Parts: sequence; C-alpha cells; structure tokens
Amino acid sequence: MYSLKLALKSLWYDKWINLLSIVSIATGLFILGTVLLSLYNIERATQNMPERFTITLFLNEKISKKDVDLLIKRLKRESIVKEIDYISKEDALKELKTSLKDAAYILEGLDENPLFPSIVIKVRRENFDRDRVEALIKKLKGFNQIDEIIYADEILESIQDVYSGFKFVSLGVSLLFSVSVVFVCYSTVKILFFRRKEEIEVYKLLGATRSFIRAPFIIEGTIIGIVGGVAALAGNYLLVSLLKGMTNPVAVLKLIEIPVQLMVILPVAGLVLGLTGSTIALGRLKY
Amino acid sequence: MIGFNQVTKIYDNITALRNVTFSIEKGEFVFITGPSGAGKSTLLKLVYLAERPDEGSINIAGWDTETLKEKAIPYLRRNIGIVFQDFKLLYNKTVYDNIAIALRIRGIKEAEIKDRVHEVLKMVNLRHKTDSYPRELSGGEQQRITIARAIVGEPTVLIADEPTGNLDVDNTAGIMRIFREINAKGTTILFATHNRDLFRNTGLRVLRLDNGNLVSDEKG
Repeated sequence: MYSLKLALKSLWYDKWINLLSIVSIATGLFILGTVLLSLYNIERATQNMPERFTITLFLNEKISKKDVDLLIKRLKRESIVKEIDYISKEDALKELKTSLKDAAYILEGLDENPLFPSIVIKVRRENFDRDRVEALIKKLKGFNQIDEIIYADEILESIQDVYSGFKFVSLGVSLLFSVSVVFVCYSTVKILFFRRKEEIEVYKLLGATRSFIRAPFIIEGTIIGIVGGVAALAGNYLLVSLLKGMTNPVAVLKLIEIPVQLMVILPVAGLVLGLTGSTIALGRLKY
Repeated sequence: MIGFNQVTKIYDNITALRNVTFSIEKGEFVFITGPSGAGKSTLLKLVYLAERPDEGSINIAGWDTETLKEKAIPYLRRNIGIVFQDFKLLYNKTVYDNIAIALRIRGIKEAEIKDRVHEVLKMVNLRHKTDSYPRELSGGEQQRITIARAIVGEPTVLIADEPTGNLDVDNTAGIMRIFREINAKGTTILFATHNRDLFRNTGLRVLRLDNGNLVSDEKG
C-alpha cells in the first residue's frame, strides 16, 4: 500500500517525464492496435473465400456405381471435405440442357452422352489450408478411376498469400513496436531511478529490502504502461470512427469493426510491457 | 556485540585498514579516532556492510560477515542505526516522513509509527518540527533528525560518522548529550571523530587509527 502511495506521488512529482513516456508508449501501442485491427478486418473479409473453393473430379466414363460409392466413402473420411456432390453422366447432360436453355437444340444431334460423371467437393472453412488441399489432390491422383482433377489454384494461392503475408508482416511490426514500448518503459524507469539514486541509497542504509525499493518503480512503470495502452485504445476508436464517418468513404471502410479483444489486449500489453521494461531497468540492486 | 578479527581492507592498492582486531561489548560507548584518511569511515562501513573485508572476519550482533548472504544485509542493517556527517536526509519529505521511513521499511503499522516517531522527536527536542522540511531546519536540528531516524527502529548498535563535524560548540554539546542518553538505555555506540575534546576525560573507550593501523585502544 505504501509502495502504491509512493508510486502515485512520484507519478505526479515527475509528471512531465511520465507524460512523455505515456505518449511514446501510446504511440507504439496505437500502431500495434492498428495492425491488429487490420488483421482482424482482413480476416473477416476473407473468411468466406474458402467456401467458394471447390475441387471437381472428372471420373472415368465407365466407372461402376460400386467404385463411385467407394470413392465417396473414402472422401467422407477426409477432415478437409465438407460436402460431396456426385453428378452422373445423365445429370450432367440435364444440367447442361438447363443452362443452355433456348440453345439446347445443339445437343439434339448427338448419338450418345459425351459428358463425364463427376464429383464436386467443397472444403471446410476451419480446416482450410493449402498444404491439406494439395495433400488431398495428390491422394486423389492415385485413383485410376479419376481422369482429371480441376481446382482453382489461383484462389487457393491468393487466400494463402493474404493470410500468411499479412500475418508475417503483422508479427514483425508487432514485435518491433513491443520492443520499442519495453525500451520506453525501461528508459523512463531508469531515469526515475537515477533521479532518486540518493533516496534509494538512504533506503538501503536503513535496511530496506530489494522488493521494498523496487516496488514503487515497478508499480509506476506498470501504471505508465497501462495508461499508454488505454490511450492507444482510445486512439484506435477515434481512428475507426473517423474512417467510418468519412463523407465519401471507400465501401469497405464502412465495414470496419473494432474487435472486443482489442479492448483487453492493448491495456494488458501496456501492463506486461511496462512491467517488463521497469523490471529490466532496475536490474539487480546491490547492497 | 562487534568483533573484528585480523581485518584488512584494500582500495586500488591502497590499504585502508591493516590487520585490525578488536571487540566491543554490548552497551559500550566507543570512540574511533585518528587523522583524516586513518581508516575511521572504512571501519564503520565494514560494520554496516557497505564494504566487505578483503581479509579477516567481522562479527556483528551474532552475524558473521563471512557467511552472510547479500539478501540478509537489510535485516542486519535494521539492527544498526547510522548517523552521517552529511545527514543523508530526504529533502522532499517532511521531518515526520524522514523518520517514519525507517519503520515503514520494516512493515510496521502507521498507528504505531506515529507513536514511535513522536516519541523520538520528543527525545531530540524537535516535536514542534514534525511537519517541517529538512531545509527549514538548522544544521544541528537536521543532525538531531538523523539521530531520531537512526534510533526509532531501536537498534542494538548506533554508528556515528563524524556527526558533529559540521556543528558549532553548543549544537555539538547537545548532540553528545543525546548520544549519552541513548547509550544509557543500553545501545552500543560506535562514534567516529577526529575531535579529541569529545572524548577527553570521559573515561570512555577510544580506538585510535593511524594509516589503517589500530595504534591504541585505551580510555579517554
């Protein structure tokens, strides 16, 4: 309790240096928040893409009903497969006639059905992964009753690229700004510590333990971190409301949302980074 | 209470103390004297473990410095009150807070702290300065606050490093009276001074240092 009182007193006593640190931390965490915000909204925008992704298997013309059933049974066992739709030669022709509508007469001259039976596979969103899709396709290529496999290679690649590319950049940016926040807390506490060097010497001579001496500084660094986190959160809210309130916004900006998790992540990140920075700054006190 | 056994302390090839051996009993009032650079301050620093001996061993109130771990130092220091020539007061805190801090570090409750701080302030005749800041006090008054801070934790040993060095004759006499009072209550006192008038004809024990050597141990 006394340590908290000392920390609060010191926050007020050295208010300008502390304010400067809060602004620096808030800036770092604001950028971190913006990255998380973008990641969240990009993920939201692309989350339906896997559902549009299908794999079509063109089967051998002479495939027996028994082999089709066996293939479907095997496909159902795959965790990535969500839906299997078997289209027989006859169904394919019917479908073609329907889609041709008035031009269906061009099929009248045919002696036999030229179409192939096929299976259309839809994949699960939660299990969507390029490697898994490719592994399944490799497995399917082993079936001699499958003549051809068609799937949207480009969609597969772009979904993967958007995810992995942005996640990679986000990780880098987050790491960079986390380190800078730790550094700001480190410098603040180090400066405060040096300013009170004589006071700390007196405490040591009076018999104060390390934890008694360190506690007010650690509390102070942590408070600075939390306040910086809350300020960054406020900045992110302001940014989103500004983007949404623009008079002629790009349509996608209207859809931007702040994830609830950000309300916890930023202050907690401030707390953890503030705590880390001040602990490193104090180092090991010697008697 | 305090035992030095063949203690040597060397700073950058300069021997500050050389093979010093003595022991002090509980309740004794002992002066450490000698010219500047004789090793008085070094000897006191070894007692409150601001320094460790390079050779020999020291025993303070049952604590052996050879085996004492660093994290135990704060607990040893709570048995030792220290009074400095330059006071070492906290100038952004009131007289009350300067003294109370010695009890707060021990985790004592505020109600008890209040009683004990007022008690020691009464002893050093500065009860009326409770809410003053150190800069508002004279040198003699500041030194009395330092003494109050040193004894509020009821230490078994009180160390004073030239506590009257910056004071006039009247203030010096007042400070010495307080030390005698504290000693009369059973506290062991180790008092470093180069002022012979303070121990002349007192009948108290005087350890004389010269160039790091203990050259005499006799009554003043």
